Amino acid sequence: MKWTTEQMDMYLKAKEYVDTAIIPLIPLDWEKDPKGKVSMGEFTSILTDQLETQFKGRVFQIAPFTYLSQEDEDDRLKRLVAWDHHLFDNGFKHILYVTSDSEWKKVERNLPDMLIWIPSLSLESMEDTYKKQIIDQQLKQLIPLIADKWQGEPVKRGKEEYNT
Amino acid sequence: MSEKEHKVSRRQFLSYSLMGVGGFMAAAMISPMVRFALDPALEAAGESDFVSVATVDQLTEEPQRFTFQVTVEDAWYTSDQSRTAWIYREGDNIIALSPTCTHMGCVVNWDTNEEFPNQFFCPCHDGRFEKSGQNVPNTPPTRPLDVYDMEVRDGTIYLGRPIQRNSV
Repeated sequence: MKWTTEQMDMYLKAKEYVDTAIIPLIPLDWEKDPKGKVSMGEFTSILTDQLETQFKGRVFQIAPFTYLSQEDEDDRLKRLVAWDHHLFDNGFKHILYVTSDSEWKKVERNLPDMLIWIPSLSLESMEDTYKKQIIDQQLKQLIPLIADKWQGEPVKRGKEEYNT
Repeated sequence: MSEKEHKVSRRQFLSYSLMGVGGFMAAAMISPMVRFALDPALEAAGESDFVSVATVDQLTEEPQRFTFQVTVEDAWYTSDQSRTAWIYREGDNIIALSPTCTHMGCVVNWDTNEEFPNQFFCPCHDGRFEKSGQNVPNTPPTRPLDVYDMEVRDGTIYLGRPIQRNSV
């Protein structure tokens, strides 16, 4: 489900079926390689949209988590963990963070739930049909990963994680 | 004399030409108004457009996934969106099913779960459908997969909108 009031109504009616939140992680940096950062954001958004389409009835696509690339790593992590715990405490048993920013890959161990990191590809010079094929292929590989996650137990959240 | 009968006075000539020009001006103003007033009515007819999706010789007895583009208008944008269909042949019949699970709207896949071969499977809440699209009892969906409105012309398959079916 998408971040709209219309789909929110749908969610409120069928809460028990929607146990997964998807948070896109999108960097901002106007100093070093702004275009590269935009490209990461664009790729992440496309991928998140496609995941939402695929799993519409079980996932909620949360507003993007945005941050300055210069933001202190610990602060940024703490903020995301706070989002995670907030959503977890309010009914989402699985939380997926989707990003193209490799900074998150480095701190993956400290994240409470599943990181989906896909390096961004520059889509700007590609033909539409080719673009769609690429995204489709990425998606095909992600589907079983997520389906597998659902087979397992949700990851427990401990209070100590707030203090990493 | 005939020449006299055809004579047009200066006053008449002016009034005719004013009527003519005025008429054009009035038409220029009124016709867009009429068009805007009727526009929604005219648009509605355009929505059932059929889109070419595949050719008959591409089909097999096994459902295959085909994607196609439709133009979707919402309040702010007109956009081209991808749609998919599971299409297969059964003798001379062609069946095109919508991939949208009738439970909560996820996308179903054909024959992807090892435990349930030759069925459509929904990874979200384990909903299942037979090849015909019929929902499997005791799984979450309560009605069959929608079936696309379809036309076959010159060996090409055109799809329209998905049509809801009720459980048998």
